[in-house]
Amino acid sequence: MATSTIGERATTIDVRRKRFSETYIGEWITTTDHKQLGLMYLITGFFFFVVGGMEALLIRTQLALPNGKVLDPDTYNQIFTMHGTTMIFLFVIPVLSGFGNYIVPLMIGARDMAYPRMNAFGFWLLLFGGIFMQSSFLFGQAPNGGWFMYAPLSELAAGHAFQATPHMNADFWLLGTTLLGISSITGSLNFVVTVFKLRAPGMSINRMPLFTWMILVMSFLLLFALPSLTVASVLLLLDRHMGAHFYQYGSGGDPLLWQHLFWSFGHPEVYILILPAFGIVSEILPVFSRKPIFGYTFIAWSGVAIGFLSFTVWAHHMFAVGLPSIAQAFFATSTTLIAIPTAVKIFNWLATIWGGKIRFNAPMLFALGFIAMFLIGGLNGAALAVVPFDYQITDSYFVVAHIHYVLFGGTALAVFAGIYYWFPKFTGKLMDDRLAKWHFWVTFIGLNLTFFPMHLMGILGMPRRVYTYPANLGWNDLNAMASVGAFIIGVGVILFMINIIKSLKAGQAAGDDPWDAYTLEWDTTSPPKKYNFLEIPVVRSRRPFYDKKYPDIADWKNVIKH
Amino acid sequence: MSVAHGEQVRVLEEEHGQVGERSLNWWGMVFFIASEALIFANLIAAYLYLEIRNNNDIWQLPHSNLFLPLLNTAILLGSSVSVHFAGTGIRKGNVRQLIIGLSVTIFLGACFLVGLAYEWTSLIADEHFSISSSIFGSAFFTLTGFHGLHVTIGAIFLAVCLVRATKGHFSKQQHFAVQAAEMYWHFVDVVWLFVVTLVYFVPLFR
Ligand code: HEM
Ligand SMILES: [Cu+2]
Repeated sequence: MATSTIGERATTIDVRRKRFSETYIGEWITTTDHKQLGLMYLITGFFFFVVGGMEALLIRTQLALPNGKVLDPDTYNQIFTMHGTTMIFLFVIPVLSGFGNYIVPLMIGARDMAYPRMNAFGFWLLLFGGIFMQSSFLFGQAPNGGWFMYAPLSELAAGHAFQATPHMNADFWLLGTTLLGISSITGSLNFVVTVFKLRAPGMSINRMPLFTWMILVMSFLLLFALPSLTVASVLLLLDRHMGAHFYQYGSGGDPLLWQHLFWSFGHPEVYILILPAFGIVSEILPVFSRKPIFGYTFIAWSGVAIGFLSFTVWAHHMFAVGLPSIAQAFFATSTTLIAIPTAVKIFNWLATIWGGKIRFNAPMLFALGFIAMFLIGGLNGAALAVVPFDYQITDSYFVVAHIHYVLFGGTALAVFAGIYYWFPKFTGKLMDDRLAKWHFWVTFIGLNLTFFPMHLMGILGMPRRVYTYPANLGWNDLNAMASVGAFIIGVGVILFMINIIKSLKAGQAAGDDPWDAYTLEWDTTSPPKKYNFLEIPVVRSRRPFYDKKYPDIADWKNVIKH
Repeated sequence: MSVAHGEQVRVLEEEHGQVGERSLNWWGMVFFIASEALIFANLIAAYLYLEIRNNNDIWQLPHSNLFLPLLNTAILLGSSVSVHFAGTGIRKGNVRQLIIGLSVTIFLGACFLVGLAYEWTSLIADEHFSISSSIFGSAFFTLTGFHGLHVTIGAIFLAVCLVRATKGHFSKQQHFAVQAAEMYWHFVDVVWLFVVTLVYFVPLFR
């Protein structure tokens, strides 16, 4: 050994078998790199989007015509429950955390997240939690109590005569969401500490990109809202398997406790699902309007306001359960209040576009579509906050229309906008803009055709969660329209997949900064190296990369503006 | 490559003067505990909600023997002292003090769990009072059980630290695991004060 030279050692290294973590697959499995994990989150989320989408198509096939026979009642319950659960817990949250993982460290000029290994843990927990939940189909016992799993329906037995959910259906949901909850807790801890502690020199809180702001608020909401769901689920598991009585009215419990616990998670949750989408749109609009964002401070702090308020409105999901009228008045007021910071954002976005040199590339198109669709969703949400109106319309298809305008018209369009915007950064390749525009218009038409008629169905009295309906109630045409629309959305998704595959194979080289953008993630190679930046950038304004590219008109020289 | 990341973390921490007490990991632990605290906040809220909604039931244990809960409170408070003793030890670089402090704390934690188990079995066997006998039964066993689970987790956490301490993993500069375990243990103790007040003492004043 004494005579060994450096040269000899090098040969030994060359000859030895590759470690598992050095093989192609092994590298993905063992990675702790935030960019790889981000992509894995995105791919996983998109996979579950396809699963949830097929469930949606099954629902719409069953409901296309009156007296449908495609699904039997029990299967229908499982399908609609898994559709909602999959879309919320396994598509939107993973995809948004995927963007957050990939983009946030780059945006704030960090080399990785604060806890890279915990990041990997969170991803794998998510993947296995998702597989665990979907595996319930193999047993024919998928969750069937709605994505809100209301007790006492989800109890083992409610009372002596009535079998509620005697099989494992609810258990899959309760255990699955608890696993996914732990995954989200680790993810949000990571975001909070990363954003607070790893920002590049000069990037003060009020110079942080808005997407980072919104991920920060989302993470706080997850940290403080998820415990309610965990507790609700554990109590229900104790009821089901240990003989406790938390949600059993006859034995001193109270089913409304479930609703209170669930919605004090559930309402913050819907803002968890939309805030990062606000963030994506707030990044894209200024770049494609060639202007700085209008009212940065308002957008950032209205996001924080929404975060706080979202903990005070939960019982607007419970107007019909017979709360005291003083409570109803309180929750109606707080719900209406939350529309104010939301509207502030919309006006800021409009002012950002106003007078800009707009480029209608795919990301911009989807972002504009987001504003229009989210506006409709917000407005009919405000209508639902009116208690007497809600009495009439709650648990009807009107609510389904609201959900989908905010979540599909809102979050999903923003997610597509984000993919079209950042794909060049992820891969170094441009996506096909023409095909992307086709994707946009097909999706836009499909979504309005599907979800707009649902307002009318709701007003005409069609309840949600019914597996079929008789022919003589005047709902036939509207349902047929909605089903056609759903398949049009499906075509849009296929166009999107074709575009991804095509661009991966033969996309034009994108260069590092194809959009002439403003934020730090573009100030590095596409795709970025493992260490992100050769040198950690120094930040002097809200648009550090713009400053670097246009030193003569750099933002920080124009002190009055900020 | 993770070196590059670690390097940045180190530089940022040194620049902002955050070596030691308020490290990156310290912040992570703070937010984790905050989230855990909300689990108990939700449990307690559920307890109070059920009590308000249903005060026909008896919200009281079948016996009013407070000896065991008081003893257990004393044990846990004592263990907070001993875990602090362990922490001060390693902050001065004294591994022996760390090992003694951790051992005492784990022992006291085990005593607490034995006490809880004894109380549970005597309630179930002698008084026929169980999780399914009433809504108070459900609430009582769930709340104390959740807390007992957290004591168990904390004790395992401390035990891992103890093993690592005997292997010489900790020094004056490097002992975050001990710090985290200490924070967690104090948290679990504070929670107990809420639990014991709610299920044992508040009923006395009704
Ligand atoms: C402009 C602010 C909003 C207001 C005033 C509002 C109001 C409401 C109200 C009152 C309900 C209950 C309807 C009922 O069940 O009778 C509701 C349901 C719902 N909202 Fe909103 N909403 C708003 C924004 C959002 C956003 C941004 C999202 C998500 C991105 C969202 C997602 C949902 C969902 C998923 C439900 C249905 C929950 C269920 O399954 O029962 N809402 N909304
Ligand atoms: Cu809500």
